[in-house]
Amino acid sequence: MTTEAPAAPREFAWRMPGNWWTRTRHYFLYMLREFTAVPMALWLIWLLYEIKRAGSGPHGYYPRSSTAFVVFSVIVLGFVLYHSYTFLKLAGVIIRVKLFDRPVPSQVIVVTMFGSWALASAVVGFVLIWFAR
Amino acid sequence: MPDKRIEIKATRYDPATDEKPHLQSYDIPFYDDSMVVLDALNHIKSHVDGSLSYRWSCRMGICGSCGMMVNGIPKLTCNAFLRDYWPRAIIVEPLNNFPIIRDLVIDMEDFMRKLKSIKPWIIRKQELPLGAGEHYQTNEQIDDFRQFSECINCMLCYAACPVYGLNNEFLGPAATALARRYNLDSRDQGLKERLPVIADPEGVWECSFVGECSVVCPKGVDPAKAIQQTKLDTTMRFVLPYGNRD
Repeated sequence: MTTEAPAAPREFAWRMPGNWWTRTRHYFLYMLREFTAVPMALWLIWLLYEIKRAGSGPHGYYPRSSTAFVVFSVIVLGFVLYHSYTFLKLAGVIIRVKLFDRPVPSQVIVVTMFGSWALASAVVGFVLIWFAR
Repeated sequence: MPDKRIEIKATRYDPATDEKPHLQSYDIPFYDDSMVVLDALNHIKSHVDGSLSYRWSCRMGICGSCGMMVNGIPKLTCNAFLRDYWPRAIIVEPLNNFPIIRDLVIDMEDFMRKLKSIKPWIIRKQELPLGAGEHYQTNEQIDDFRQFSECINCMLCYAACPVYGLNNEFLGPAATALARRYNLDSRDQGLKERLPVIADPEGVWECSFVGECSVVCPKGVDPAKAIQQTKLDTTMRFVLPYGNRD
């Protein structure tokens, strides 16, 4: 008498649909957050090109000021602000600091991060405006 | 209100006869506002179609067995009230990202393997005899890991995680949260044994912080927090002098 091992039950394999990121608002915002890197990268490549153009000195260098470039820059600024906001908002989740053996509340970390961001932006803005005068 | 009814559309899949899963509709009485989706499934099983297969046990959000997709969201069906959906139909499907064995039953083997790989128990370099007494902990030491110890292994976080859906080699949210629970425990000395698994490219570094795992967690464990904190900790161990100490 031969005994055959019972066949393994056939399972239905899960496949992630290509439109998974449209299923919830949370997924969509996540994809938007990840996508912000693309326009930021394009703008930075443009910046590198501008630095190269300015490499031979101020004579003959004129910064881009076309409407298209300004509009593009404003759109990228929107993406940068969104990316920064999402990143700093999550800092309270990521960073775990203890002060006098007690954990610092995540809200305090987030406020500190946004405060540092505002301060750094103000300093950079001041330096740029001061040296551009 | 004895006349109130609700439509439940449940996934049916018989591996012996079906090529792929399909939805089957059931019209059931909704006689009590405290009814949950699991009650509806139990009604179907008892009174309409005894062949419907699904997992459940405690009916009180503790065992983590009855996790399913309810209208596309991973939920414990014992904690999903019909009143929140009525009069719309409720679509009940097996948890996303897992192979389906039958109807609403998924194959959890991959999760169990990952759970075991992070050694979710207290590891001591040298076990002390029982007579040596207890390992004392302060309230602050317990607070360090308490949140992560609430995990009931319901796998809703895996069903919500698109990273796991796209790459099931990813260690995943619950396993990482449990690894963190033990790594933060002052009695545990097993960090170095868990590091090869959690610091692997398919460990915490595969996570791109979608965060949906924490949104759907029925116990407030916040696995996304566990993963991101583990990333920071493992980086610090690498970067800081003496960071690799025990």
